[in-house]
Amino acid sequence: MSERGTRTAALALGALLALTACSTTTSGDTADTGGAAERTIEVAGQYPIEDLDPHGVQGASAATGLSSKAIFSRLVQPDPDGTIVADLAADWTVNDDATEWVFTLRDDLVFSDGTPVTSADVVASFERLAAGDSPLAPSFANIVATADGDATVVLTAAAPDPALAGKLTQFFVLPASAAADPAAFFADPVGSGPFTVETFVPGEALELARNENYWGDHARVASVRISDIPEMAARLTALRTGEVDLTWGVPDDQLEPLMTADDLVVETVPSTLVYTMWFNSSTPALADTAVRRALWKAVDFETIIATLNPETGEPAKSPVAPVVFGYAPQEPVAYDPEAARAELEAAGFDFAGTPLRLHFSGAQFRPFLQAVVSDLTEIGVPVELLEKEQAVFTEDLLALNWDVNFQQVGAATYDAATNLGRLYPCAAGRNGYCNEDLDAALLEGNTSNDPEVRQDAYRRATEIIWSEAVGMYPMQVKLAYAWRSDLEGVTPDPSGFPNFSTIEIAG
Amino acid sequence: MNPLPETLEAATAAATLPPARPSRPRHLLARVFAAVPFVILGCYLVAAVVGPLLIDYDPVDTPLVDRLLAPGSRTSAGELAVLGTDHLGRDVLAQVVYGARTSVLIGVATVVVASVVGCCVGVIAGYSGGLVDTVLARIMDITLAFPGILLAIVIAGVLDGGAVVVVAALAVSGWIGIARVARGVAVSVRSRPWTDAARMLGVRPARMIVRHVLPFAAGPVVALATVEFALVVLAEAGLSFLGVGLPASTVSWGQTIANGKEYLASAWWISAFAGVALAGLVVSVGLIGDAFTQRYGRGFSR
Repeated sequence: MSERGTRTAALALGALLALTACSTTTSGDTADTGGAAERTIEVAGQYPIEDLDPHGVQGASAATGLSSKAIFSRLVQPDPDGTIVADLAADWTVNDDATEWVFTLRDDLVFSDGTPVTSADVVASFERLAAGDSPLAPSFANIVATADGDATVVLTAAAPDPALAGKLTQFFVLPASAAADPAAFFADPVGSGPFTVETFVPGEALELARNENYWGDHARVASVRISDIPEMAARLTALRTGEVDLTWGVPDDQLEPLMTADDLVVETVPSTLVYTMWFNSSTPALADTAVRRALWKAVDFETIIATLNPETGEPAKSPVAPVVFGYAPQEPVAYDPEAARAELEAAGFDFAGTPLRLHFSGAQFRPFLQAVVSDLTEIGVPVELLEKEQAVFTEDLLALNWDVNFQQVGAATYDAATNLGRLYPCAAGRNGYCNEDLDAALLEGNTSNDPEVRQDAYRRATEIIWSEAVGMYPMQVKLAYAWRSDLEGVTPDPSGFPNFSTIEIAG
Repeated sequence: MNPLPETLEAATAAATLPPARPSRPRHLLARVFAAVPFVILGCYLVAAVVGPLLIDYDPVDTPLVDRLLAPGSRTSAGELAVLGTDHLGRDVLAQVVYGARTSVLIGVATVVVASVVGCCVGVIAGYSGGLVDTVLARIMDITLAFPGILLAIVIAGVLDGGAVVVVAALAVSGWIGIARVARGVAVSVRSRPWTDAARMLGVRPARMIVRHVLPFAAGPVVALATVEFALVVLAEAGLSFLGVGLPASTVSWGQTIANGKEYLASAWWISAFAGVALAGLVVSVGLIGDAFTQRYGRGFSR
């Protein structure tokens, strides 16, 4: 009896082994006949993609920027070095005082569903963005878009807007019909980017397929899947096992094992991102400049960066990165806890008051911020570190429902207009800080058509922001990209928006 | 007929064999083994009570220059980091000791809340019978249908973190088992002759429950509560691991393990020691629970 059982088991095992062998051979065959090229590139994004709407409330977030770049097109786009080049627009002209911009569209443009891209789509998208609740909307206030024939779009600004071309790199064109029923549209979006949406689960995964109607060079891979693996350890394990092909934003402590792995490539690029920790100046406790400056002085950012981010960061000297137009380096704020404590006492800071709420999103920033909280607690400032889910974080951010806010702020347009010019005027109301001199400097920077005047205006604005401590600007970020060595054509993007269409699988 | 004497003989031999072997050393050994979990639990309790008095630890303070030190290293201040330091330079030994206190406190608080609620509901349901019993028993069944840890995550996630919320979240699923046991005991006891007699004598229901029903429920409930304690400690660590448990300003094994999970390859000691401490506590309490169940779990019906 037992002998027969053993024999049956042996037979079953043999059959199983044979089956496994068969299936291995089969998959091997497919790979040889070009199956590898059809493999989906698995990407683990830095942030979960919550929303595909480039004109929505998530429009300025890195996650939506990444998806928009793959799905939609813009009038103009930035080169990796910051030069503005054509995308949907074949060329454009601007009048002398930078109030009228005329864009001529390419003549071979179609959306992924085959319908042509016309100036009416551009105008409708522009109006949708400017009228919506996107954080980008203020950038396009007071600008009117009109169609002049099917292929020409005229943007007329009420005031001179020399940075408009740069700003337009964040303006994505959707079909005009999208505005009527956005929910239905984004259930199955149609765009003119290199990819189309196959499936999308908010906060989890976005599956892209090559857009065969794309006007430019077609994507080299048939499909790309951007998924969210919130845990960095899991994300990097997935990279090592081959479950994920490409990821970026790898923290310093995890770089070492990746660099030594044979089948992985690791590269860091200086990004446009700067760790930005705004103080909410509309909070009574933080309304006083002396208090804000003292708090900045109380944190030993130099040590924090040297220990936690030796590879992926360096002390920042301005709210914008050096590659951005309008960069003006400032004197670093020196760490001096005794002086900080004394200045806080002199300013009448309430040490026993309600803890300051420090909002952030993204577990990778937790150690950095815990170290910041440690230094602030050291001098007796109570701080409560609150990690928020991305969507909630953005909502709170816009509602000023925080005391200190942490985010990485970039300048996707490589122009200070989108960072300083967009976020710091009183009218923007983003951090509760309001200063007429700053407004005047920003206005000049945002409107003058003379690069030298603009540069000088942003220098003045930077000085005010820095000396008034609108926020703390501790670190300039370098982005670490890691990918499997069988991927070719990966260009680490300083903004964290790698172009998937140039990537292909070797072999 | 022939085999009978043989069988008889064998049976006699078998029957007489065990007493013939020296039983005392084995008995002693068993007792020593049985005592081990109690000793381990005692160590945890001592660590939880005395440890924080001996070791100073502030979870908010992050001496970054001492980060990721291996066990046995010296910190920049010259202190010995017996179990190493974590990614922010905080002492791992201190986290294990303070974590023991957190786990024991949360565990005890949750089990007490769950036991009190469970006993009340269970005994009232079992003793009252009829509609009250039906309603309460169905409520128990419905609550039992939810996965406990999921319910805890939802509650702890929706409400802002804090010890009270964590205790409540864990007690929500913890009371049901106790209530069912208490109800079972109450149903059985209420039909016994002595309860009938007491009822005839005019003893009020409240006194009946306290005097004649609860004492019988105590044994099984204590046995179950011990097992529950182990599960609660584990669940609390789970919640803290997921970041929906205790706030970062309190020390919890779950948080320590979570902090170390990105350093498993380079600094294994962060997660490992907290994990071992957690496993040790859960296993020894579980063994004690088993022992209690064997001894008291059957209640009065022996």
